[in-house]
Amino acid sequence: MQKIVVPGEKVVNTPVRIENTISDKNGTYACVIGFFDDARKILIPLEGVWQPRSGDTVIGIVEEDKGTMLIININAPYKGLALTKFLEADITTGDTIAATVKDLEKGGSVMLLKPTKLQGGKLISVSPSKIPRIIGSGNSMVKQISDGTGTKIIIGLNGIIWLSGGKMDIATSAILKIQEEAHTSGLTDRIKKMVSNTKVQ
Amino acid sequence: MSGSEKPELIINGKRLDGRMPNQLRDIKIETGVIKNAVGSAYIEWGRNKIVAGVYGPKEALPKHVQDPEKAIIKCRYAMSPFSGVEDHSRSGPNRRSTEISKVTREVFENVVLLEQFPGGEIDLYIDVLQSDGGTRAAGITAAAVALASSGIPMSDIPFAVSVGKVGNQLIMDMDKIEDNYSDADMPVAISPRTGEILLLQMDGNLTKSEVSAGLSMIKEAGETISKIQREALKAPYEKILERYKE
Repeated sequence: MQKIVVPGEKVVNTPVRIENTISDKNGTYACVIGFFDDARKILIPLEGVWQPRSGDTVIGIVEEDKGTMLIININAPYKGLALTKFLEADITTGDTIAATVKDLEKGGSVMLLKPTKLQGGKLISVSPSKIPRIIGSGNSMVKQISDGTGTKIIIGLNGIIWLSGGKMDIATSAILKIQEEAHTSGLTDRIKKMVSNTKVQ
Repeated sequence: MSGSEKPELIINGKRLDGRMPNQLRDIKIETGVIKNAVGSAYIEWGRNKIVAGVYGPKEALPKHVQDPEKAIIKCRYAMSPFSGVEDHSRSGPNRRSTEISKVTREVFENVVLLEQFPGGEIDLYIDVLQSDGGTRAAGITAAAVALASSGIPMSDIPFAVSVGKVGNQLIMDMDKIEDNYSDADMPVAISPRTGEILLLQMDGNLTKSEVSAGLSMIKEAGETISKIQREALKAPYEKILERYKE
């Protein structure tokens, strides 16, 4: 059975180790607002902040060009850094880039690899906790949207999504609908209907 | 009401607004009221109206305030210039708002899992739009809901409420008039999961037995407040679930 839990609510009567929970001798308690799946014993957060992990794709905006290094705003408590000597294209202050996280540096910044410039299109910001649902299992959800609307979509795990071309407004509203209804079932079918309906018109 | 004269606060066992001594005012909480904030909450606690907003975690600035092992919390409690009739509702930092900001910050330093965001900062803003006594307790209660709705990990949702004394009678959750003329006032914040006391202040005099009686009254009332907090947090999600129920 699935249920919505809030911080401090008991999820299991024994102390067990589950992500996003804390435990003491009397039991295990949720520490974020989320969806608890009793059968699989996992807590899926409904809201949350992004924690950088190596290999994550992120989208950011270049804030400053320091000559040897670019400083990039990645919508996180940390600044993104990219070495200019590895740049493929000419990237300067104000550009939007997509990059991969290499690692979290000691000084509280994120080293980014392979920054590529994103030209045109638009950015939308969503809650980072809803990103897995927007991607879907094996990219199914995002593929469905981009196939249906003809929009090119790049998803940053930091909660920023870049869209370009095609029926962008429909793709945007589909993504925002997923964000709002991420915790409901049958969402894939509703999104399918949404993007295929518009194709006919 | 002339200043020196003390009004009768309890008449035939009932208080001026018709409540019983251990009765809370009506509480209503709503989340997600500020779109630009990471988490937010609006509370109506009797005639108190308070908005709380949470921003962050972000890089703590200026750099010298950073803690490499955990995040820091910055809290600002402020009363709007139009929130009350008395002098303390003047806007801007003053002795009283600085104090309340500090004690509120200390409440949340004990429940938010700050070690997950080293070098970070979480901003907490509590704005009183309309005041009628007990705003620090209502502010903490609202800020707890705002923090929980932001998804920032925390070990519990604390609540706060005050207990006071009129004559020999302990009364729960005092409003402005009762606060002005009571013999004692004790706001308390508690983590309901563990029963830990996160805030305890006292104006006036209470005996040892009155303090423990007051604390047990607060724990009892806390069950009601915690329930309202949890329902407010779950309500927006349940509303959407309801929409697609077969």
